[in-house]
Parts: sequence; structure tokens; C-alpha cells
Amino acid sequence: MINLAARDIEHTLGKFIVTAMGVGMLLGIVLIMIGVYRGMMVEAEILLNDISADIWIVQEDTLGPFAESSRVHEDLKDIIYVMQGIDKSEAMTFQNIQLPRKDKPVRVVAVGYDIYGKINPINPQRLIKGRELKTDHYEIVVTDKTGFKLEDKIKLGRNLYTVVGITSKTVSNGGDPLVYLSLKDAQELQFLYSNKEIQNNEARGVENSESFMVNSIVATVKDGFNIDEIAQDIRKWQHKSVYTAAQQKEILTKNLIEKSSKQIGLFTVILVIVSTIIIALIIYTMTLEKMKVISIMKLMGLPNSLIIEMIVKETLLLGIFAFIFGNVFSHLIYDKFPKLVVLLIPDAWILFGVIILASILASFVGVKKVISADPAAAIGG
Amino acid sequence: MSKQSAIKVKNLVKNFGKDDNLVRVIENASFEIQKGEVVALIAPSGAGKTTLLMMIGCVIEPTSGEIWLGENMVYKDKWLAKDTRKIRREKIGFIFQAHYLVPFLNVLENITLLPQANKVSEEDALKKAMELLKYFEIDDKAYNMSSQLSGGQNQRVAIARALANNPEIILADEPTAALDGERAVSVIKMLKKIALEQNVAIITVTHDERILPYCDRIMKIQNRGIIFHDLNDEDIL
Repeated sequence: MINLAARDIEHTLGKFIVTAMGVGMLLGIVLIMIGVYRGMMVEAEILLNDISADIWIVQEDTLGPFAESSRVHEDLKDIIYVMQGIDKSEAMTFQNIQLPRKDKPVRVVAVGYDIYGKINPINPQRLIKGRELKTDHYEIVVTDKTGFKLEDKIKLGRNLYTVVGITSKTVSNGGDPLVYLSLKDAQELQFLYSNKEIQNNEARGVENSESFMVNSIVATVKDGFNIDEIAQDIRKWQHKSVYTAAQQKEILTKNLIEKSSKQIGLFTVILVIVSTIIIALIIYTMTLEKMKVISIMKLMGLPNSLIIEMIVKETLLLGIFAFIFGNVFSHLIYDKFPKLVVLLIPDAWILFGVIILASILASFVGVKKVISADPAAAIGG
Repeated sequence: MSKQSAIKVKNLVKNFGKDDNLVRVIENASFEIQKGEVVALIAPSGAGKTTLLMMIGCVIEPTSGEIWLGENMVYKDKWLAKDTRKIRREKIGFIFQAHYLVPFLNVLENITLLPQANKVSEEDALKKAMELLKYFEIDDKAYNMSSQLSGGQNQRVAIARALANNPEIILADEPTAALDGERAVSVIKMLKKIALEQNVAIITVTHDERILPYCDRIMKIQNRGIIFHDLNDEDIL
């Protein structure tokens, strides 16, 4: 049997391809939206995975440095370290700062860590140039996205810092690039006030002792010990909030990204609905253009099933071609986005399934028109 | 019923609307057309020519009466067949004022479409289509699209398409209206030849005086009924 859909598409190939490309761009945006969500999930876990801590000890009744303000004493790391089952324990700071740059300042998250400590937040695999921090002062490791080069000087607070290392693909859960400072420098940046502020505080009787504070203590647990039990002990005896790596991940991915992911999800659903409506309108228009031919086919006695098959096949082909164009389009532009976009094959297959369903739904408008076509309309001009 | 009867219509009535809006189009029309006959159907515009053609073609349902196609009664106050489209597909060929070929199919595909829908094998359908194209001397255009053919060539393809399913009846709606004198005569001669050679009954709606001499009979709708004119009558139209 003649494949009517293929012949019709062949007859108006240029128009069909341009239409499929148009719908494809819309689907490409859907894929990008899903990719942005995946990227957020990946970015949220980069720092957690690089630090690889089993336990996060933070200020009591807070969710920790990524969700809200948290301050604990630096020497808490020593108390934690001597607890049974603890393998390593280090103090860390996390703060948003702006790196001054000639054209425009760069917003980053600065991670402060003890360069002589046993837990290093810099993943050696991500260090693409230079080295890690070696001295306690005035050195900085930056992410390539900040635009700085090795040996560049950056003024932070009162001091000039030298870029000694450059990492790649290191971003915070908010998508800001990460920079790494020694713990002492980071504490100074975060907690040390200006001379005038110190004088002002002293005049008010306020002591400036916060430079011994950090935002979190991270620890690893020896093999054979139960992480949850140790976490429970710390909660009980140190009056701190303690999160395991899994809980910290949940805070990052669920609590912090939940709204964003819902927003992206809603946008994605709306875009899929819009795509379905557009496909339906295109098919409706294509069917309208063929109404005379359809009436003649019906008048000659062609069964509805044959004509409906043509409409459904055309809609499916439009959906499939649009999906292919959408994939090509999304792969061409995904790395142009400022935030990480992760395109996963399973997501593309799910979208493919959705598009097939949407195409079948969209074809109903054309099918309805075919069923209602009057064969008598073929005669009489 | 005569063995040679192709179409028999008895007391056919067609009304549109109801009550105050009732429009009587055909009233108690009765006639019979034999196989191999070419009958011209004439009437002023709006008199119901196309309506009558569509009733015979099982497209528009009459209000009452009887319609026989060959030996089968297809209508008696209601359609007697569940699928009237199947009747059209298997027994009737249609020719229109314009060729109305499917624009996205080539000549051969246009002709083989209906036989293939009738479950004729692709091979047999192609063979028959090529025979028809040779018969109409356009076999060299088999793979052309209708947009690449002249008006006359397209009309010949349309006639070939109407014959592809070996119909017993051909219903033509002003098939020569869009053609010049020479081509119009050529088309009606062709229809006449087909009617005789393939024993097909042809009813052609027409306003075209040029083709009347080539018809066997002239059927006119007058006062909502059917009357037959002699070919020698003057001022038939």
C-alpha cells in the first residue's frame, strides 16, 4: 500500500523540515531546561564529593553553612578528633565574596581549609594548572571560570593574594565558582573587622574574638564504626547539629534546590504542553490544506482508516523529526549557558516518549477533521 | 431487472430541511440506465443535478425511493449496505470538473491508490494502471506529478483513475467544463469508447452543448422530476 504520509511529506519536504526545526528548537529548550536541573544537582554535590566528609558538625539548630549561617569554634575539631571512631577532623569556612576584576567583580564562594590538615577540599583531578596552597597566607586557588590566571594578584580585604592554582568545574551549589584560601586567611576575611570597626566595638565593650570561629567541622569516620551513632553522640554531648554526608546532600538537593527544580519542572511541563499545542495546530493546518483531497478520497471510497493513518503518521514523523532537531539544537547550545547544563540520554528518551504521546494526542485534531470531512464537498467547485 | 441494467432509480425523493424550510429537490424520479450507455444529465443550476449524482453515488442519502446498482438494491428508504463507501470503492468511478488528482502522488500512484485500498495486489494494480495509461497514451507520464502535466493530460489521468477499480458505473460531474472545445470532445469520445468497450454506464452532468451529440441519451431534471430528451431536440439546455 502506498505510504501516503511519506509521499505528502516528500511533496512538501522543505516546509516540513522548517516546521520540524521550529518545533525542534522548542524541544531543544525543554532538553536544556532538564539539563539545567541535572546541572544543579551535579553542582550541588561537587563540593560535598570533593570534601568527602562522613560527618558535618555545624552550629546547633542550623542546617549548616550551605543553607544558613553557622558558626562553631575552630578548636572543636580537636574535640571531635579524639572521639572514638573519628579518623580525621578539620575546620572549614564557606563564604560568598566578590573577587575584584577590571571589567566586573566575580561572585564566588571561598572555601577556607587548613592547608596542613588531613581533609583537603581541592580535588587533585580538578586542579588543571599550578598547585595547591602551600603557605598559610596570601595564596589563592581559583576556578577557571573566574577568568584569573596563574600569578594574578587579587586584592581581598586588606591584602593581595596570588593565584597559585586553577581548578576546573568547581562550583558551589548555587552555581558560583569556588576559590580556596587557607583557613587563617578565610577566617580573617570572614570574621576580622576593619580597624575602625574594631575600635567601634571596643568602645562598646564588644570583644573581637570571632577570628577563631569557623563555619563547620568536617570529619571522616574509621571503618567499622557507625556514622549515625557517632553523629548522635556529637549531638548529645557537644550541643551541635550534626549531619551525615547523605543528610547534607539531602539539605543541598532537596531543601535548597527543591524550589528551583519545581520551577524548572513547571517550565518544562508548560513547554511540552505548548509544543503539543503547536504540533496540533500545525497538523490541523496541514489537514485543512488537504481537505479537498481528503473529501475526494472519501468520495472515491477510500476508508477513513487509510486517511487517518496518513494524519497520525505525519504527526508522529513531525514529532520524531522535531525531537531529532531538538537534540541537535540542545547539544549545539548547551555549553553556552553560564550554569552547568547536563544532557543525559535517559532524559532524552523520556522526552521522546512524551513527544510520541503528545504527537498522538495532537493528531486527534487532524483525525477529527478527517472524520467530519464531507465527501459531497468534493463535488461542486 | 434487466441483466444489462446498471442503474435503476424508482420514485426517488430528496428533500432538504423541514416544515417551513422544506426544500423539495427531487420528486418521484424514476429511470433506468443500461450498461454501455452514456447519459448526459442536464438542468439549470440549482435544479439538483449534483444531488441526484451524489444519491446514485451513495454519497447523499435520499429521503425515500429505491436505488439499484447493477443487480443490487442499495437503497430502499434507507441504505441497505452498512458501508456505502465500500460500494463506491468497488462499483463506482468518479470524474470531476477539475482533475482533483492527489497532488502529492505521482500519476501511477494516483491510479493505483483505490485498487490497493480494495486489496488488489500492488503488482496487479500497477499492471492495470499501466494498461490504462497506455490506453490514454500517457504512459510516458507514469512517474510525473500532476503539476507537471497539462490540463488535458491530468483529465485523462483522472479518467484512468476512475476506471482503475473496474467500476460498473462512472459518475462524471462536468468533466469537460475546464477544457477547450477540442479537448472536451476528445474526453467525451473517450468516455463513449470506454462505455462501449468496458460495458460501463456513464452519467455525466454537463452544461456543455458540445458534448451532447456524443451521448446516447439526455436526462433532464425538470419540475423536480426526470424527463428524457431526444438527441435531435432543439434547445435542450
